[in-house]
This record gives sequence, structure tokens and C-alpha cells, in this order.
Amino acid sequence: MSRRYDSRTTIFSPEGRLYQVEYALEAISHAGTALGILAKDGIVLAAEKKVTSKLLEQDISAEKMYALSKHVVCAVAGIDSDASRLVQRARNMAQNHLATYDEEIPCDILVKQLCDTMQGYTQYGGLRPFGVSFIYAGWDPVQGYQLYQSNPSGNYSGWLATSVGANNAAAQTLLKQEFKEELELEDAVQLALKVLSKTMDSATLTSTKIELATVGSGADGEVKYNVWKPADIEVALKKHKEAEEAQKK
Amino acid sequence: MDILIGLQTANEVILVTSRAISRGVSVLKHDDNKVVKLNSYTAMAYSGEPGDVSNFAEYIQANVALYGLRHGIEMTPNSVAAFTRSELARSLRTRKPYQVNLLIGGFHPREAKPMLAWVDYLGSKVDLPYAAHGYAAYYITATLDRYWKKGLTLEQGLKLAAQCVSELQTRMPIDFKGCDVHIVGKSGIQSADLPPIVVAPGVANKPSEATLASA
Amino acid sequence: MSNPSEINGGAAVAMVGKDCVAIASDLRLGLQSVGISGDFEKIFEYNGVYLALTGLATDVQTLSIDFRKKHSLYELREERRMEPQTMANLVSSTLYSKRFGPYFVGPLVAGLNSSTSKPYICSFDSIGCIEHANDFVVVGTASDQLYGICESLYEPNLEPEDLFETISQALMSAVDRDALSGWGGVVYIIEKDKVTKRYLKTRQD
Repeated sequence: MSRRYDSRTTIFSPEGRLYQVEYALEAISHAGTALGILAKDGIVLAAEKKVTSKLLEQDISAEKMYALSKHVVCAVAGIDSDASRLVQRARNMAQNHLATYDEEIPCDILVKQLCDTMQGYTQYGGLRPFGVSFIYAGWDPVQGYQLYQSNPSGNYSGWLATSVGANNAAAQTLLKQEFKEELELEDAVQLALKVLSKTMDSATLTSTKIELATVGSGADGEVKYNVWKPADIEVALKKHKEAEEAQKK
Repeated sequence: MDILIGLQTANEVILVTSRAISRGVSVLKHDDNKVVKLNSYTAMAYSGEPGDVSNFAEYIQANVALYGLRHGIEMTPNSVAAFTRSELARSLRTRKPYQVNLLIGGFHPREAKPMLAWVDYLGSKVDLPYAAHGYAAYYITATLDRYWKKGLTLEQGLKLAAQCVSELQTRMPIDFKGCDVHIVGKSGIQSADLPPIVVAPGVANKPSEATLASA
Repeated sequence: MSNPSEINGGAAVAMVGKDCVAIASDLRLGLQSVGISGDFEKIFEYNGVYLALTGLATDVQTLSIDFRKKHSLYELREERRMEPQTMANLVSSTLYSKRFGPYFVGPLVAGLNSSTSKPYICSFDSIGCIEHANDFVVVGTASDQLYGICESLYEPNLEPEDLFETISQALMSAVDRDALSGWGGVVYIIEKDKVTKRYLKTRQD
């Protein structure tokens, strides 16, 4: 049945499904896990970086964490090249808003605008949907810290804690068990590492296998994003390992 | 010849606009409104080329409303001013630019602060404590330079506005049919009346009672 | 009113010192002879690179916003800082893209190279022709006066404090002889890991 309705553009099948969108979602479910947790005083994003080969050059820059504007950063799950195009668009949207209105784009408006473009690719002829799900961590002065997730259909929703990619069902269950409203950012980082350690294939976490990004207020009280350096990830990992050891005893 | 005056007080912005529409030596209308409400906390006073002004004001009003509808939050006065400026700057490089001068008065509900932006038809925008456009500026900037102080009460602000209007009444060549007053503050946008001025300070050609008696 | 560069008024100057650069401008915005504002800053900072924009105020604002956008996108894309030289070329190409309907501005770029700390200054005409210098550059309605005073006050290899004194005196003397500039000034002294911003009080006429 599907052969007649999924090969070319995105048109409905008789059961009312959009196969291309579903295939895009399928592509994402094989990607490295990404998750986000909303804390009282910030947000953490964490992602699994799949090291496919020893020979592959380890890039210095992050692959899965992208800053979109001064107060918004996102984690990517899916096809990297698709993601990079969307990130480019989102950055342009954010800068255009700043140029026109002299104010940083509110997080939800940026997500909404980006999802509008993604939706367009599920409807117009000759195009395929983006094979990317994003998790967005953002802040704006009206709504404070916000966590969103979007998928190739252009749907998005706000979350307290969420995950995408491979093993996201397991991650989601863990998050549901462990999430608490009064979580501080530092505890949220530890929770993120805990969830990743349970859902990733590899036995031990290292800074080469994961990426971290946070949005929180800095020493000067101004809200900033921070895409973590490997050294900082190692520090957080050390704390995580100590906590795990303690629990075993 | 239209008059636009704006001045900030401690907690609000006062916008004063003339009521007349005149062409050459004729007064065509005596109760014209030159202020448009853009949202709950932003008002815009406008003057310039007759067709342009109403069209431009309507365009800005519609776009500010659209932003509020689309995004579920109202634009701040600062972003309204920035948007308006960018529209004028864009228009300047077209075949027929809008010839509109503006004063945008607003109140930031979150920071509880008033703001006044002076915008000209070229798209230059400056935030000022007090401002005026057109010929009025020549007559009253000196008055405002002299009497405006930081932290005026609303009452003092209205009195100062009345002083300015009274000065214009003696100096302007054509009757501008009085002025409308709008106040933008924490309770939104309201219209008001100017307090009566007994003797306008600095008006040299009004003889005092004493001079008249001795004559 | 016939010359758009001289409607609003304003002037700026940049100088090279010993391991430091200085950039300064006046604060006036006027409509011909009438002063409108005395806190119209014409120097914009882009993560360590300084850009002064004199000329038509609307274009000053449009361009400062445009460069903020281009600079932010550059730094997000490249994941590194933009060098002063890069900024100069960005300014140049942006202005030349409007070759047959130009922005009426006189820009200056000043900064230190982020790795070598070498001072860099340059000025532009309104269509983006870069003019390099290793002493000083001037723009604005008081540029003639600035050239004169800089020629006589400037000396090479000034320490930051002396450079501040020199550039401030140059700016103040020049704008006093120009009806369209003045109403206060602002000076940035840019050193390797320190930037000092100072406001100047000047005559208010």
C-alpha cells in the first residue's frame, strides 16, 4: 500500500498518514540520544555523540549543540546536514528579529517560526521533510526558562524534561521517575549524565562521547548559553562517577 | 505647521498635538486627532505629508496589532519604536518615501518606566526626555530646556506642557485650534486637558496689569 | 539640507599608540543648526572591534544594526572572534554593495588583532574605499579641523594615558570649530586586555 503514497511528495495515504514524515521520524530514532531538562535556575541539554570510527577526526567544535541566539541553544538528533541548514535559518531569524525590533527574539517565537518552515517541507511538492528533531533550551524576560522539542512534521511542544533519538523511550521513563520541579541546574546536569549513562551503549561516559550545553545566569547575573568544553564535561563526569560509586556502597 | 510635543515625567509620558488641519492660509479642520494608540502602553503622535501620515500610522498600528496576535504578547514600546524606525529607514530608499515625523510615547509595564522616542522621516530615532517636531520645536525647545527637570510629577508636566502651548499660541502665525493631550502611564493611555495658564512666562508681548494701569 | 552627510552632524577620530588604539567621537545629533540630542553615541563595539559611524543618523543606525547582525552570524558560524581587518573588509563590501545609492556615512574601524595584539585603524569613504593609516584617521563634519589638530598634536608610540589626553584634546579642539559637532564626547582606549571608556564634557553651544 505504502508504495503508492510514499515515493514522491508528501501526500496523505488512504489511512490518513504522511509516510515521508514518518520515515523522517524513523531516521531520527536511530540517531544518538539527545535530552533536555528544565531546572529552576537554568536548562541543561545533553547529547550522545556517536563515534563511528577510531580513524574519524575528532572535531574540536560541538556537533550536536548549536547556539541559535544570545539566549537560545539547541541539541540536534537526526541528519546533521539537514540540521545545519535549519540552524542557519534559525540564526538568521533570530538576528532579523533583533535588527527589526531591537530585542532578542523570544524563545517560543523562534521555535514557532522555525517549525513553520519545517511544516512547509511536509506540504509543498518536490520537497522532503527535514530529518531532524531539535530540543531547544531558551530564556526570555517574559517567560523565563523554557524547554521545547520539535520534530520533522513541524509540531513542537514545551517540556519539563524530554528526550529524542535512539533509546528515547528508556530515557523518557527515567526522566519521568527522577525529575523534580525544584531541581537546580547543577543537579539537572547530573541527572542528564545519569540518564545518558543508562541509555548509551558504551559502558563508561567520556567527554568524547557526549556533549553538554546549558542556559543559565552567569556570575554577572546575565543569562547566557554555554556549550561545554571537554574539560568541563570531564569535571561533571567525575562528580557523576563519584555519585554512582557512593550509591553502589 | 502641525505641533507635536512630547515630554517625560517621573512615571508617564505626555503627548501634546495640535487640533487644526491647515492648507496654506486656510484652516480645514479644528478637531483633528494626531495620536494613534498602537497597543495598551504605546501611543504615536504623527505629522507630515497629509496622505502619508494616515497611511503610515495605520500600517504601523496594523503591524503592531499583528505582532501581538501572532506572538501572544504585546510589543514593548522600545520594540515598537525600533520597528517604526526600520520601516521609515526602508521607505527612505524607495521611489516615494513616507514623509512622516513621529513621537512615540510609551510605558514599559515590566520595568515601570516611561519612554519617549523622537523619530524623523529619515528614520533617525533618539530616546529623549522631551522633544518636539516642526516649527513648534523652534519656539519651545528653549522653554523645555529651561523648565524640564528629571522626575516631574504629572501635574508639573501638564503645567509645563500648557506653558509650551501658550507660548505657541502667541508665536504661531496660524491658529492651531488648541491641543489634544494624551498621557501614557502605568494605567495605559488616557486623554487629558491642559491646566489653564494665567500668565505664560517669557511672553514679552503680553502687557502686565501694572503696565496697562500706568498707561 | 542638500548634503545628507551634513544634516545631523558629528565627527570621529582614531589613533594608534604603543600597543593600544584609541577611538573617539562627539555626542551630538542635530537637524541642521538645531541640537536634538547630546547622547547620540556613534561608536559601536563588536566583541572587541570598534566601529565609529558619522554622517546621516538614519544610516548610522541602519548600518550599526546591520553590522551587529552580520558580526553575530559570523561569530556563530566561524566560532571565533572577528578581527579588525575582517571587520574593515565587511564594512567595505557592505558599503560598496550600495555603490549607486550609497549610505551617507563616514566610518572608522579600530581594534587590536586578537592574536598578535597589533593595533589596527582605518577609515572609509561612503562607498567603502578603505584608507589605512598607522597614525590617525578622521571622519565627520569636523574632519578638516581634526586633520589639522591631529597633525600638530599626534606623536607615535604614546602610552595609553597620553594617547587618551592627545585624542581628547584633538577631538575637543576640532569640534569647537564646527557648528555641527560637539555636545560632549566619548573616548575608548583599547589595550590588550583592558578597554577604558570615558565621557568628555565639552562646550554646550
